[in-house]
Amino acid sequence: MALSVGAVVFSARTFRSRCRVAAARLAAALVLALACGPALAKTAVILNSDDDSLSVIDTETYKETSRVHIGRQPHHLMPTPDKQHLILAMSGSNELVFLDLSTGMIKQRLIASDPYQIGFSPDGKWFVATSLRLDRIDIYDPSDYRLVHRLPAPTMPSHIGFSPDGSTTYITLQGTNNLVAIELEPGKVLWTVPVGRQPAGVFVRPSGTILVGIMGADYIAEVEPRDGSVIRRIHTGRGAHNFLLSLDGKTLYVSNRVAGTISALDADTLAVNGTMIAPGGPDDMALTPEGHELWVTGRWRASVNVIERTSGSLKARIPVGRSPHGIFLY
Amino acid sequence: MIDGLLQLIEQAQGTLFEGAIQPVLYQLGLMDWSEEAFDSVEFAMFGGLEIALAYLLFRPLELWRPVESWTERRAVRTDIVYTLVHRLGIVPAIIFLLLTPIGATIDGYLRFKGYIPPTLEQLIPPLIAWPFLTFLIYIVVIDLGEYWRHRLQHRLSWWWALHSLHHDQRQMTLWADDRNHLLDDVLKSVWSGTIALLIGVAPLEYPLVMIAFRLVESLSHTNVQLSFGRLGTPFLVGPQYHRLHHAIEHARPPFDRSMGCNFAVILPIWDVIFRTWRRAEEYPRTGVASLAGSPIRCGYLRHQLEGFRRLGIALAHLIDRRRPDFVAAFSRRDGRGQDAAA
Repeated sequence: MALSVGAVVFSARTFRSRCRVAAARLAAALVLALACGPALAKTAVILNSDDDSLSVIDTETYKETSRVHIGRQPHHLMPTPDKQHLILAMSGSNELVFLDLSTGMIKQRLIASDPYQIGFSPDGKWFVATSLRLDRIDIYDPSDYRLVHRLPAPTMPSHIGFSPDGSTTYITLQGTNNLVAIELEPGKVLWTVPVGRQPAGVFVRPSGTILVGIMGADYIAEVEPRDGSVIRRIHTGRGAHNFLLSLDGKTLYVSNRVAGTISALDADTLAVNGTMIAPGGPDDMALTPEGHELWVTGRWRASVNVIERTSGSLKARIPVGRSPHGIFLY
Repeated sequence: MIDGLLQLIEQAQGTLFEGAIQPVLYQLGLMDWSEEAFDSVEFAMFGGLEIALAYLLFRPLELWRPVESWTERRAVRTDIVYTLVHRLGIVPAIIFLLLTPIGATIDGYLRFKGYIPPTLEQLIPPLIAWPFLTFLIYIVVIDLGEYWRHRLQHRLSWWWALHSLHHDQRQMTLWADDRNHLLDDVLKSVWSGTIALLIGVAPLEYPLVMIAFRLVESLSHTNVQLSFGRLGTPFLVGPQYHRLHHAIEHARPPFDRSMGCNFAVILPIWDVIFRTWRRAEEYPRTGVASLAGSPIRCGYLRHQLEGFRRLGIALAHLIDRRRPDFVAAFSRRDGRGQDAAA
């Protein structure tokens, strides 16, 4: 045990300074895709969680241009608030990997315990990571990614949402069918309430009410932020999982992972306006920068579906690595 | 071709999961187990592939140059059951359900105390650029762990009582590798889980290579006159090499279970380093001399119960030394010190 702890200390010191070769490979893949500069870049980045890899896809040709080993069990990714870096959460290798979006280089690898899903509070003051496997929520200060609070979260803390003022985080607990609200500054649990079978994605509306994808059923639940009570249920499709708001803020997409569909809801009324086919276990979603296409990872088919937004038709299915999860387009 | 095969397996996995498994999870309210169930489908599919490949590759060898031939093969049929329940994921699923909560609790506790298990790449940073090399190093480390676990299985009386289920097979064939007691499999999982806590889990990227290694384990039990020769033997465990480990003479009373040889599972280098390598050209009979008859020729469930019985006797002796130990309790020597009749 002492040897291993020493090894951890050693590795933490040397780790950040000796990643050049792997970083170069990844950079080569991303720089090639970014040849015209970030503003003109047409690239999708997919995390293949069962392949320990990252796929780079040209969004114009719909071809995977590169697949790079990135670390153990990468699940989710998101840009930093200043849009300078892309953070990859590697739950199996216990790290957060920071990619420089302008160069494609790996800027930094930070040791972090089993990060599964990650998120920044809207005010940029907090960075939250859930540990799905180890039933824990970590709250960091993003100025230096120092761990501020570590909270037990039974069980299976999954997806993250934030109140509009950034003071509170809402996290689904898949194993206990609950949604938990945590005040970020003191790290205090405000309430924990049942919301439905195996709650997954979280989306907080501008009004402050919380939408939760109920993966064990066929609806999303709208939840009152003050006490967690369920206001109403909106039926979308079996395995309602995750959310994505369109660029114009008018349409809210819900991935239904069991049904293999995407529901398009009116973002104001939450009326279901349409349903699109997205086979293979649709999970995370992203829109192309101009908003014409919806890209969806298919967890069970090692592929990414590209859906034409206006017609709802499936334009392309792109093979990637096993169990693709997080997706980012730029 | 390899990519094509992998894509075929991936699509089959997805089809099977979405068509047969996910609807059941949904109906039973078990969608929080989706990802584990999806991985289990892959495990079962690769297990099926392993079984098919082992049969196609090694059964012809057994027919071509067998060490032994038998007219009655009931014990071999039991080993086929062992192989199916292990490689298709039934036993691993049971162990997963039993041990995952415990493992996660221990791991979670250690994280709260600030301990995060390092990966090999974190310990040796240049490995980041060489994922396949990293994977091979994990195999080497895991194999070293398996060597020492095997030594302990032969050294500790209670553990030998369980492991004797694997050794009591007198008709060793390509099916014999998974002939193990469930408790022994649990101990193996605890052992490998501890290694994972120390150096992290192995990468998931090379499933076909993992199949190759498991095929080596099947080959090493195959009933075939096959040796890798003086040059090849030090590099990979083969049938003749491993048969020496199973030799009945090493289990003959007065039995010293800490003796024996060729404990390595895949890489014989460990036997070389730790001086347990026996070089011989023979193909001895296999089994445990004091274990014979219906307890070794029985079906799967009775064989598992037999393991509990042996373990009970061994533990009783540990508690009360006046009770016969495991070997003495099963020893049935005749007046000339011969084996009991099979």
